[in-house]
Amino acid sequence: MGSHMMTARPTRRRVLAAGAALAVGPALFGRSAQAADRCVVGTWGGDYARLLRENIDDPILKPKGMEVVQAVGDEAPRLAQLVAQHPLPRGALDIACMVAPTGYLAAQKGLLETLDAAKVPNLKNVSPLLTSGTFMPNQFVPHIYSVQGIAYNPLTVKDPPKRWDDLLDPRWKGKIGALANSGFYIMMGAALSQGGNPNEFDKAKAFLLKLNDNDLHLYAQTDDMAPGFKSGEIEVGIIWLARTVMWQNADFPVAGLVPEEGAMMYISGMVMPANAPDKEGAYAYMNALLEPAAQQGFAAHMGYLPTVGNADLTGKVAEQLALPPGAKLVQPDYETTGKLQPEMNDWWLKNIMRKA
Amino acid sequence: MSVAAALERVDRRREAVSAAFLLGPATIFVCLTMVAPLVLLARYSLNRFDPTELMVTALTPQNYLRFFTDPFYLRVLATTIRVSVVVTAACLVLGIPMAWRLARTESRWKSAYVMAIVLPLFIGATTRTAGWMILLARGGMLDLATRTLFGVPSLELMNTEFAVVVGIVSINLPFTILTLQAVFEGIDPRLEEAAASMGAAPARSFQRVILPLAMPGVLIAAMLCFILAMNAFATPLLLGGPRFQMMAPLLYWEFSTNNDWPFAGVLAFVLMASTLALTFLAGAAVPRRYRVR
Repeated sequence: MGSHMMTARPTRRRVLAAGAALAVGPALFGRSAQAADRCVVGTWGGDYARLLRENIDDPILKPKGMEVVQAVGDEAPRLAQLVAQHPLPRGALDIACMVAPTGYLAAQKGLLETLDAAKVPNLKNVSPLLTSGTFMPNQFVPHIYSVQGIAYNPLTVKDPPKRWDDLLDPRWKGKIGALANSGFYIMMGAALSQGGNPNEFDKAKAFLLKLNDNDLHLYAQTDDMAPGFKSGEIEVGIIWLARTVMWQNADFPVAGLVPEEGAMMYISGMVMPANAPDKEGAYAYMNALLEPAAQQGFAAHMGYLPTVGNADLTGKVAEQLALPPGAKLVQPDYETTGKLQPEMNDWWLKNIMRKA
Repeated sequence: MSVAAALERVDRRREAVSAAFLLGPATIFVCLTMVAPLVLLARYSLNRFDPTELMVTALTPQNYLRFFTDPFYLRVLATTIRVSVVVTAACLVLGIPMAWRLARTESRWKSAYVMAIVLPLFIGATTRTAGWMILLARGGMLDLATRTLFGVPSLELMNTEFAVVVGIVSINLPFTILTLQAVFEGIDPRLEEAAASMGAAPARSFQRVILPLAMPGVLIAAMLCFILAMNAFATPLLLGGPRFQMMAPLLYWEFSTNNDWPFAGVLAFVLMASTLALTFLAGAAVPRRYRVR
């Protein structure tokens, strides 16, 4: 393997790998093996971390005498931590939260443990929609998912765009919002709409240049878009439908729909590093995150859909999160995303994030 | 050799040993926490990036060539330098009179004035930048005020270079003022009285007497301000918006979005090298008699 991180020989590669471990500071010091009473979870902060505590840690694992420690941070440093610690016999994390394309990258680099399904009984309940070869759910356990939809302000838009092509209508000029940090997913969504599959990047580029010329508003962070709807800065947008649910619950005027051409799926999940110090704890955590009650909690508070088939939603939550019957939901082609993501991100940066 | 000379030599050796003991720990600490990561980063910047393997060991100038042959990255560097120069000029223009007045005031409120300048430093740069967002955003305070008073929306100030300059000036200004205040306080006020006694108006006295004496300190304040502006991260990210690119946010983009450590390393070194080069160049451009000695 070409990567200097992956070899075990005491060469300069090893020296550099040790350097990488130094670069992530405290992460250098791997933990010693523990009994299955402690689990260190590398996660995003904010609502996600809070909901992990409220729906998994406190109600399910704490009563069993297990202590969960959250290591809060962004995904990129978390992946860097996994890469840097890989040469060590024991890393610092038992569980790492990642989105599916990043998880696939980590799996391809050999950083992840392939789970023993017998130790995660709830794995059998994972929806067939959320499987992908040996990668998902055996290396990457899908925790929550949503789909990329078209959001609109129901107070001002009575006839919302139903297809991506509708967004090119001059009527939406200067009134469309998108997230700068979701460029690659937007490219996949555009590819799906223009070419029928998420790998048609040439068609996606041609479409997105036209969309950008329709005075596309870019928002740096996901939650920046909600005030845009409220202030009238935008009337339609491309966003995860889970966000529209969260914003509805926060009284922002936003509704969402699944485009007629189909929608890209955004899957967030958890992985166990191959050198996790407490694998038994990690197995317990993986099983807990798939418990119906935990899944229902995330659906109610974050608007993400459950990844297991036995977490039925009821009432308002079921109504808000319902997808149209027969909607075409498409997972990224992880092999392609792994190879092309940096190139497409560069294109997005230089062509869409350029000055208007 | 006389006994006195021998004793002097022993004393000098003792001083050297004592200095080594005092400086040693700090030097080792700096080496470990600053130099070692930089060496590692320099090595990374010569590696090759592969989308699936991530960083692959190599010794290639490819990442540097990519930066210097792509007009996009050169434009980002040019924007960063332009913003930093404008911010530095603005901080000096605003900071010199305030610092001089602060240094010369004998008001009993002087410590309150100093506190007023120091207080913003108690709040993180990101929090202050968020304040600017509330002020400048559509539907923000400025927009609401112009709509209420004049019935029209305010100018689109968010996501502009102007907003970024204003934001960084507000962060750098206290550093500039505090540095300059210390400089002006070190200049004997009797020099101004002497200039006045010879018929120099206050403005002329300031220009011909005080400013030349303060020039080494002004240069240091300008360098401090310039370095901070070149490395600004949160302000361009939050006030400039996604379509405004400066070097530090771009560096994080390469690390976080692409996991491209080698190219992120290149951006870090180009940013560091251009900051140091321009800082020394500015120092060299100042006449020798005004430089720090």
